[in-house]
Amino acid sequence: MARRARAGRAALYLALIAISLVMIVPFVWMLLTSVKTPGDIAAVPPRLLPTHWAFGNYVDALRAAPFATYARNSFVIAASHTLLNVVIASMAGYALARLRFRGSSLIFLGFVGALMIPTYTKILPEFLIVRFMPLFGGNDILGQGGTGWLDTWWALIIPGAVSPFSVFLFRQFYLDLPVELEEAARLDGLGEFGIYARIMTPLVKPAFITVALLTFEGSWNNFLWPLLVTKSDSLRVIQVGLSVFRTENDTQWAFLMAGTTLATVPMVVLFLIGQRYFVQGFANAGIK
Amino acid sequence: MSGTIVPTAEGRSRSRSRVPGPPSPATAASRRQGLARTRRRAGLLMVAPALLHALIWIGIPLVAAVVLSFTSYDVLTPPRFTGLQNFRDLVSDNVFRRAVLNTSIYTFFTVPVAMGIALLIALMLNTRLAGRAIFRTAIFIPQVTATIAVALVWLWIYDPRSGLANAVLSFLGLDGPAWLSSTSWAMPAVIVVGVWQGIGLKMLIYLAALQSLPVDLYEAASVDGASKVRQFFSLTVPLLRPATFFVFVTSVIGAFQSFDQVYILTDGGPANSTTMMTYEIYKSAFREFRMGYACAQSLVLFALLLFLTLLNRRITGGDRATR
Repeated sequence: MARRARAGRAALYLALIAISLVMIVPFVWMLLTSVKTPGDIAAVPPRLLPTHWAFGNYVDALRAAPFATYARNSFVIAASHTLLNVVIASMAGYALARLRFRGSSLIFLGFVGALMIPTYTKILPEFLIVRFMPLFGGNDILGQGGTGWLDTWWALIIPGAVSPFSVFLFRQFYLDLPVELEEAARLDGLGEFGIYARIMTPLVKPAFITVALLTFEGSWNNFLWPLLVTKSDSLRVIQVGLSVFRTENDTQWAFLMAGTTLATVPMVVLFLIGQRYFVQGFANAGIK
Repeated sequence: MSGTIVPTAEGRSRSRSRVPGPPSPATAASRRQGLARTRRRAGLLMVAPALLHALIWIGIPLVAAVVLSFTSYDVLTPPRFTGLQNFRDLVSDNVFRRAVLNTSIYTFFTVPVAMGIALLIALMLNTRLAGRAIFRTAIFIPQVTATIAVALVWLWIYDPRSGLANAVLSFLGLDGPAWLSSTSWAMPAVIVVGVWQGIGLKMLIYLAALQSLPVDLYEAASVDGASKVRQFFSLTVPLLRPATFFVFVTSVIGAFQSFDQVYILTDGGPANSTTMMTYEIYKSAFREFRMGYACAQSLVLFALLLFLTLLNRRITGGDRATR
């Protein structure tokens, strides 16, 4: 019996190790390619390990395309999205959870409904809103004549400033807090905003971390919207930069894999640091 | 209404000290009314930024998508009303029909395969195992990395001459195809990437569901002599039904909106063998500047997803969100 249990456990470990390797191998291949010389890369059959470890590829990649600028852009946008989402969505989530008011149920249902609207149904009109933004980019008051928000930070930051999912998640967290706390705070003379900011919000720190991590990750990994609204090199984000680099340098696999590593590692590190909150958020984020 | 004064904190404390004992009913009612009004105003103020943002960036676009789908519009000249012409064109558009078929095929294969693998992994991880967190982490990493970056890695893996895929096949004595240039192999290649990247999230949801199952049911079943396999099919599968349907519908919604992999790996080719609904919408709008037509296509996508969502609600017997 003990022997059979041990054999079962060994089989379990082998299966999990095999699956984990399958999940990890593409990234290992990415890393190994990023430090190979052109000769190693072109070898047939392909070489697993580099004969020379060409770490200089990273320096050369940063020269071949402004990946540092791309990463900076992605960071600025992701940080802005995270800050805006955390503040605006937490206020909305709190209001919908704790401050029932006329129309609050309807507003909440609206946010839930918004979760169901596919990106590809609204992204085209969103593009038009950006293109015809009045008084920006040479547009007149009616939004004609110029390019509006296209190729500006506004287009990259404002549309993603709040996500219905963040509002939904905060509402769920705030719902679980005991009513006695806010009643006691109200008796002590604290205003509604003060109750939200000083009493209730410190109790839902996990929600803030979860929303922050998911927002940053989604923003950093975003591709289509930045692709549509920016053309200039100076505003390009890392994922668009990779795509453009690939089409412009079709055979520079070492540099492309170095760039891909630079685009991937921050999210893996972020995940390893905040794993518990990622797991919690993703378990709720199946809708994404 | 306008004549009523909302009591300040100082006012409240003064009135408390002036009138010892319980306040008069009129004063209490007035105070409660004032507090209710304060809460209503605070509620509206606090939800206003998010609501305004949603109205501008979700509400208006949705209405605009519907309106524009009845027009011919190229952004440079004003939209021209054309009735149902876009939808009639849609019905006879062979490429879009192919895209609907491809999206369905992609979804039909990636979702159940990834779900099956994810459930197996979740069952394996749902035991006391040293290193469990390491396995869970490794399996989840594809989920948190960008689809674009991941697609580029797979682009390199699928390289017919120097790629890892054909190297492995060669090692096994097989000749690998030019995956992404073959009308037969391009879609399977894209499906493999979709399955690989989709396993992590599904595994996570199943693992959470498994860990919340009642232990006493399994103990009773063991006492009755039920085998592990019997317990799985008689207890685990039915008890996981809510999680299964949640995973299924959210995965379908995600699969229907796949874009990045196709954009990088195949550009919809070869010969439209991997084009997706999302890719056709992108092409119609941003390469052909047929905005009205693209909106009509996007409404078809929306209608399909709405149908799947309502199906989910019907089957699971209610929306978790409307607690």
